[in-house]
Amino acid sequence: MKFKTSYLVAAVVAAIMIAFPTFLGAYPLNVARSVMTYMALAITWDMLLRSGQISFGIAGLFGLGSYASILAVLRGGMDPLLSIVFATVFSGAMAYALGFAILRLRAMYFSITTLALMEIFRIVIHNMHDFSGGPEGVVLPTVIFGGNASALYWLCLGGLFITIGASWFFEKSKMHLALTAIRNDETSARSNGVNIFKYLLITFVVTSAMQGMMGAIQVQSYGFTAPDTAFDANFTLLPLAIALLGGIHSTVGPMAGAVLLGVAAEWLKLKIPYGHLIVYGIIIILVILFMPQGIVGMIRRAGRAAGRAGKQTGANHE
Amino acid sequence: MAKKRNATILVAVITVAAVVILFWRPTVLIYGLQAAGLYASIAIPMGLILGIVHIVNLAHGEFMMLAAYATFMVCQAFGLDPFVAMVPVALVTAAFGFMIYKLTIRQALKSPELNQLILTFGISIAITQLINLSFTSQTRKMSFDYVSASVDIGELSFGIYNFVFVVIAILMVIGLRLYLTKTISGKAALAVGQNPKGASIVGIDVDKTYGFVFALASGMIGMMGALFITRSSIFPGVGGPFTMKSFCLIAMAGVGNIPGILGASVLLGISENFLKAFRGTRGWADIVFFVLIITVILGRSIKGKKA
Repeated sequence: MKFKTSYLVAAVVAAIMIAFPTFLGAYPLNVARSVMTYMALAITWDMLLRSGQISFGIAGLFGLGSYASILAVLRGGMDPLLSIVFATVFSGAMAYALGFAILRLRAMYFSITTLALMEIFRIVIHNMHDFSGGPEGVVLPTVIFGGNASALYWLCLGGLFITIGASWFFEKSKMHLALTAIRNDETSARSNGVNIFKYLLITFVVTSAMQGMMGAIQVQSYGFTAPDTAFDANFTLLPLAIALLGGIHSTVGPMAGAVLLGVAAEWLKLKIPYGHLIVYGIIIILVILFMPQGIVGMIRRAGRAAGRAGKQTGANHE
Repeated sequence: MAKKRNATILVAVITVAAVVILFWRPTVLIYGLQAAGLYASIAIPMGLILGIVHIVNLAHGEFMMLAAYATFMVCQAFGLDPFVAMVPVALVTAAFGFMIYKLTIRQALKSPELNQLILTFGISIAITQLINLSFTSQTRKMSFDYVSASVDIGELSFGIYNFVFVVIAILMVIGLRLYLTKTISGKAALAVGQNPKGASIVGIDVDKTYGFVFALASGMIGMMGALFITRSSIFPGVGGPFTMKSFCLIAMAGVGNIPGILGASVLLGISENFLKAFRGTRGWADIVFFVLIITVILGRSIKGKKA
């Protein structure tokens, strides 16, 4: 019974989101697109986090995808829509190759190396003047779909749905058990026959591909990119803050966080043009210190406490 | 035995390489050493925190950036020289570091490493954006006459000011070594670093030691921030790459091995300047540390598997 209502709610929300362009103007749609991009990035970050690996390299793969897409269109003459697929595959392939090196690292070594990825990709793009346009960046002659706001919105929504779908699949399938086992205790996971490297590699490739896909969608919608916009630290920072605030290790958490913070970001951007990101830094600090479970975790815990109080006798069950 | 032979071969290879570079491109060696001094003196405080408090301070470079801005303000307001200003700035940074420790990091000592990493990441963002908010992202620079001091040896002419950082790095290593082995609080810090639980059983105040070490390291990085401004222009993002490079050096040397940081910095500094010596590869010099960290960590994990 409970399952059916949750499916119903999801379907209704999805339908409303698909119908947004019919009653919203261009500006709200633009805001919605940026919220959805950050939501998708937050979900992918969380997917890898479920295995206990913190990636600080979201911006790196996001920028990589955006460059792969824009260069495929400009230099390879590829169809814009196809170039998004290409960027997805390219980012995935890149993650696959890199994964063999960096997925052997653990904890802080892994995190710092992914943090460096962003720098690396930016330097590479910077230095390939002839191919990538160097520091000035590259501009597309036309935006995808001729810049139609509704079409762009649906494209971004499509990307988001794919991400949510993947995350949901990861939550419901065997992947979830494997990743949780790795997070809890790697040694015992290995001794129970979990192929750690395989699962980490799959997760890393899938999440990186989706980060690249969101980058490609973003760049095709704006028709322009430069190393400093594509590899902007915001694309690492905001998803992190979003997922942490919403609640990690779930799909719903990052979604809730993205709606809250995404709208707040848009408002802050208008109020404080320089340094509005300080709010995100402070949110990260406060959440880690005072509510490491995030909003969804707190609600869930409150619900559980209420349920326990109702039963009264269930206290010694744990 | 095999290990010893390997080490001997390694030393021989490095010596030969150094001699070859010395005759072929002496500037690579000179500027490499100077860069190494800077890297080492920035990495050593981070190594101290990592070795004793066991916290990766991702806000390390930002502490330095903050100190550099503080020096900038002090020097502008009172017309002081950075070498004078570094004393008050170091004290203020030490106090700031102690405050950060008390307010945030102390609360997260018991939580998983994951949370600590994200916490210090958040602190680094907050500091960068605070500076961004109050100073905007415009670059600032101060120039001094003595920075351009140079020396001629034969046909070769090179700047010598940056050797200051080499001296500081060496002094830091010696000073820390004396502090950790000769003084009571230093010995206590070393004991806490090895085993906090054991140290607290024998009556060492672990929390106080952590706080002191954090403040000490922050003071050292504050001093470096004050001197950094003599060498380079500053902007809010200037510290970030140094956090990564410092971590890379510490990982290469091995956590807790502070003198090893010197060797690692020399390797990094010389290989970066080696690439900078050629027009075609100049832009790529910033990737060197990434290649090094991957090689070293992978090499270590493979070696670990064999043993």
